[in-house]
Amino acid sequence: MLETIHFLNTALPLFYLATFIVYFLDFKKQKKTLHNSKRIFLFLSLLFHLFYLLSRTFEFSHVPITNKFEIFTILAFSIACSYFLLELFSDIRGTGVFILGFSVLFQIASSLFIEDLIEVREVLRSPLLGIHVFSALLGFAGLTMAAVYGVLFQLLYKRIKLNTFGIFFEKLPSLETLEKLNFYSVIIGFILLGIAIGIGVIWLPVAFPDYSYLDPKLVSTLLVWIVFGIGIFMKIVIGWYGKKVINFFLVGYTIALLSMFLSNVLAKSFHSFY
Amino acid sequence: MNLIGISINHRTAPIELREAVHLSTDEITELTIILKEEIFTDGFILSTCNRTEIFGYPKKNFLNASEIIDQLLKFKPVKNIANSNFNKYFNCSAVKHLFMVASGIDSLIIGDSQILGQTKEAFQLSEDLSFTGTILKRLADTTIKVGRRAIKETNVSEGAVSVSYAAVQVVEKIFADLSTKSALVIGAGETGELAATHLFDKGVSRLAISNRTLSKANALASKLKADVVSFERLAENLHQFDIIFSATSADGFVIQQDVVKNAMRKRRGSPIVLMDIAVPRDIDPASRELENVFYNDIDSLNIIVSQNLKKREEEIPLVQNIIMDEMINFFSWFNTLDVVPAIKIVREFFEEMGSDELSKIKNKISEDDYLKVEDMTRRLIGRLLHNPIVKLRELAETGTNLQDAASHSLMIKTLFNLNGADKTKLNENSNED
Repeated sequence: MLETIHFLNTALPLFYLATFIVYFLDFKKQKKTLHNSKRIFLFLSLLFHLFYLLSRTFEFSHVPITNKFEIFTILAFSIACSYFLLELFSDIRGTGVFILGFSVLFQIASSLFIEDLIEVREVLRSPLLGIHVFSALLGFAGLTMAAVYGVLFQLLYKRIKLNTFGIFFEKLPSLETLEKLNFYSVIIGFILLGIAIGIGVIWLPVAFPDYSYLDPKLVSTLLVWIVFGIGIFMKIVIGWYGKKVINFFLVGYTIALLSMFLSNVLAKSFHSFY
Repeated sequence: MNLIGISINHRTAPIELREAVHLSTDEITELTIILKEEIFTDGFILSTCNRTEIFGYPKKNFLNASEIIDQLLKFKPVKNIANSNFNKYFNCSAVKHLFMVASGIDSLIIGDSQILGQTKEAFQLSEDLSFTGTILKRLADTTIKVGRRAIKETNVSEGAVSVSYAAVQVVEKIFADLSTKSALVIGAGETGELAATHLFDKGVSRLAISNRTLSKANALASKLKADVVSFERLAENLHQFDIIFSATSADGFVIQQDVVKNAMRKRRGSPIVLMDIAVPRDIDPASRELENVFYNDIDSLNIIVSQNLKKREEEIPLVQNIIMDEMINFFSWFNTLDVVPAIKIVREFFEEMGSDELSKIKNKISEDDYLKVEDMTRRLIGRLLHNPIVKLRELAETGTNLQDAASHSLMIKTLFNLNGADKTKLNENSNED
């Protein structure tokens, strides 16, 4: 089993890189053969990745969330998986190259530095923590995808306004579609982040005697969640659309990145396991 | 193969001459009857606004292409037309030319997909007039196949190549689903009508026409099941539409920036697309400065058109590969036509020889033994002929030169002395033995 894990650890970045290259070539050349086969590449990469994650979980008797590099591989999987599902259900295939690059980077970082950890803190073996972390990471993956679609929207908007009809004009879906993809990704991110916060709030007093609801990581995550909640409210109830709502969500994502950086690097928190 | 043909098209003649020789369906029917009587056993005529093509199999062995031109000009006299306004094709070049026409790479606008439908209709009309034989039918099928493959396997017909269609392409980059959008076309002239037709074909939820002359707006609106918006009240109705095409011949701006600004206020900022396809322009270009207003004029749309044309040109080598593929297939099939009679003669010869020998022993052996010998003879003939026949077919299929197949057939016939008189003689000699 350990050999398989080590093999997959080396092979996964290559799988994702190959998938990324196929998506890139399809975006650039739009060959009809690549148009369908690229999805198979992604599916197989995800299948191997899932097998890798399950193997690690059983081999080391804990969900791979105990350190930064285990989190990275889950993040790579979450982003690729969320994109795969979105592509499958929306049948919009031209944006994968912008999303899957994140999976490649996270998986390379993970594969380079991940270690075989058998001894971990008891608190990290809790299945509730597994769900909490998984939903939080999937939530952030959703928000990352929303940000990518937001940036693509801005790029295409500018190009149409300035009448510069290059590769982005040609290959990207319509502004309305990008806005829709952005919004769906925000909704997915918002719900999953909500689940993560909910589980965290319930599980926190059980797992940590010295917990505090004013912990910087908790407060910043809640702040991000509220910002996106306001954006969703403005879009659905007040009727915001187009550039305005896209910009709002991009600001939300910037706040998310900043707060993650500040709470993880600068602030001291009980909510830190490695 | 004696396929011969002539073509007058955008490369060989100016529009006046192309128009002058253009043939309507009735005229094609009449000319077909003449050609059938005078020069061709079978053939077809293709006539569009950009080209007139006449191809066929001549009744006599040597037909000069000029005779086809003479027949055409006798039927439809045209002043100032010269022989040099026609391209002449024969055999391989004729097939290749037809494939190029059907695939759209010989069209004025490369990748024009209409030509495939027109070619199909031309072949169909020829068939209806009993002007097609086996070879021409096969040629027609292959020509259509080439056209379809070019569309399916390459991007030669992709992308808008007219200004009004390019405008629709831009609209589709802004709105995902045009069936939920409303559109207004200002101007009911030729360009306006084309734009309105494109929008209608794209299935916009509501289409409206506005024109200074109301009767013209009404005429176009009734054609496309559209509403009519009064030209004088354009400004107050503008906000109702997501897409606005303007193609009038007005001298000044029909829509000023402040009109667009007001409309956007009423639309609460909802995106609006302004396509100014008029020269001089109808819509104040300063409108593009407004948020969520997407403005395009002829110049910007022409950028898309020229980009798409360039991309289509880049696809020509791929189409040429398809043409080469299908030419090989077609001529492989055609060459086998020549060896089929030779194979038939050889087989008949061997079978005749076999039954002749069998008849000599029929009364000398028992019935059971005869059946065994008969079966053995049949199998022996089969085995003896298997390799030569397969080889002959292979040679015919792989040889792109008609002479290859013919010379191999001739060789077989010569080796076995298989022309009518010799064959009889051979049989007689055999009987004497």
